[in-house]
Amino acid sequence: MKIVAPISRVEEAEPMIRAGADELYCGIVPADWTERFRSAGVNRRAFGNFSRYEDLAEVIRIAADAGGTVSLVMNAQHYAEAQMEALGDLAERFARLGGHALIVGDIGLLARLARQGLPLRLHASSLLACRNSETAGLLGELGASRVVFPRDLTLAEIAGIAGANPGQEFEAFILNDGCVFEEGNCHTIHLPGRLGGPICLDRYVIDYGRADGRAPGPDELAALAVNDAAYEEWLWYRFSCGFAVTEAGYPFGPCGLCALPALAAGGVGAVKIAGREGAVERKLKSVEMVRATLDRLERPIAELTDFARALRHRPDLCGTGYMCYYRDAMPGGGDCIQAGKAPRI
Amino acid sequence: MTTLALGLIETRSLDALLADGPPSLAACAERLGWPFVPLGLGARTIGRLHLGSEFCETLLSTEAALRHALARSRDAGLGFALVTPILSDAGLSRLSSLLPLLPDGTEVVANDWGTLRRVGRMRPDLIPVAGRLLCKLIKDPRLPSSEWARLYPHGLHSGPFGAMLDRLGAARIEMDVPPFADLRDFRSTTVKVSVHAPYGFSVKGRSCRIGSLAQPPEAKFTAGQDCRRDCLIYVGGLSRPETGAADLPTFQRGNTLFYRHSDAMLETVAAAMAEGWVDRLVLTGDWNENRRTH
Repeated sequence: MKIVAPISRVEEAEPMIRAGADELYCGIVPADWTERFRSAGVNRRAFGNFSRYEDLAEVIRIAADAGGTVSLVMNAQHYAEAQMEALGDLAERFARLGGHALIVGDIGLLARLARQGLPLRLHASSLLACRNSETAGLLGELGASRVVFPRDLTLAEIAGIAGANPGQEFEAFILNDGCVFEEGNCHTIHLPGRLGGPICLDRYVIDYGRADGRAPGPDELAALAVNDAAYEEWLWYRFSCGFAVTEAGYPFGPCGLCALPALAAGGVGAVKIAGREGAVERKLKSVEMVRATLDRLERPIAELTDFARALRHRPDLCGTGYMCYYRDAMPGGGDCIQAGKAPRI
Repeated sequence: MTTLALGLIETRSLDALLADGPPSLAACAERLGWPFVPLGLGARTIGRLHLGSEFCETLLSTEAALRHALARSRDAGLGFALVTPILSDAGLSRLSSLLPLLPDGTEVVANDWGTLRRVGRMRPDLIPVAGRLLCKLIKDPRLPSSEWARLYPHGLHSGPFGAMLDRLGAARIEMDVPPFADLRDFRSTTVKVSVHAPYGFSVKGRSCRIGSLAQPPEAKFTAGQDCRRDCLIYVGGLSRPETGAADLPTFQRGNTLFYRHSDAMLETVAAAMAEGWVDRLVLTGDWNENRRTH
């Protein structure tokens, strides 16, 4: 199983591969794009991108020397036609540089790039929200050699989709970054903090009403308040437990390490570490965690799970289940879940 | 003239709504508790009924509800569409049991690419429609100016998107009205355009806040969770009082965050209708902000 890991600077490439990453992914917002479109929207993220083609070339060279590959993200949800033409040119340049794959978030762009016939693999981004076997089949027909699953699929769903599309490669999230909603169905902007930031982190006040026009009673309001308190707790986990790390530097937050055996058995061939905009230390420690766990993939599942859960030395946090990408991988079928106890770092 | 479609998730109001034939929008507003009728269309009668949720697999129509709605819409002389959400494989299986109930030529509004493909493969005699979850554009209710949306232009009328629709047999798209909508957003030379009003959606999740209300802590906020359908009972008004920002009125229904259209947005829709670019308006019947007072 391959580890797919993010980089945002040239100097990150070599240590990331040395730490165990097989495939690096990155973004670029070149000056000619910014000048033409007055926007950073080459991909989903405004920050954490290269700006010079020379850096992209250097990263590809370093990765190749170290035995790895580089994929380029074109994972905005949508592009105007002129932008797609520019992305076609960028794809050609990336191919000439020796790039490995394009990670594509717009279905029209995916089909267009496939028709270009470049010597590049096409990976259907999680932004394309592949939630069923039919979508995976369509993406394969369009030219995607790999489909990146969105978050919020169960392990059974993943295995079902992969099983129904045996010729297709699949990739699943394994560490860091937990969208509250579905990123493939999010039409908002990660605004600057002064304007509210990501909408799922914005400090909305909620005022419940009943659809029938009656005012909620005291018992209803109490139940809603309990649910909202649990929701706030879940949000804390979803956003990486306050972006905290262990003493050893391992990140808390969304994690699928316990699910690695099930993902492998279910037909997933690559796992993705999210967080392109993160610090290099966080990225390196993330790769270390995944590599160390993957190295135990042939061991008994319970042994691997115990190892993964011991990495952060915080079984109470793991025990909530709220850090899990795949809560159905919880040991004991979820019996050990202790959500609602509100542990904190 | 633009056709009016009434979108419903539940069928419990259907018999009363259609008792005297196709109702006016004013009658729909009275029966369904809408706070207002958009675009001054209260006297116009609906021409179509659209049944189903775009946002949640749990709310996919049952066979009984579908049969009921098909019969009532036929009796009332209304066009009909089955609306479907983004579906898992289990949901696709459920949909596959619904499709045989639909008469030839019935529209099916699909909100994921796989569902669109399944409909075409299983029932090529039906009319597939690309739902608004497939029509990507920036719809953030907090945007302070149109410049923000300009940074991420949409490609709804681009050649590649049109080719995808054509490949899957969809000759109609359903759109939301984005904040700071431009008249040209609704102009297509290749497909018919339906527009939803007076609410658009900004973002949807799979894990569901209100759907977790009845669940124990360990079963809350997770994929495929059990659900008591509390979204049919509660709606959450959302505000950001600390910011003082002039957001569009925002609310959460089930797993989805919606905004209400501003007057300026509705005026743009009216202009697009006058141009003949919007040939159908879909009114959100019963899964909206429902701020009725008794």
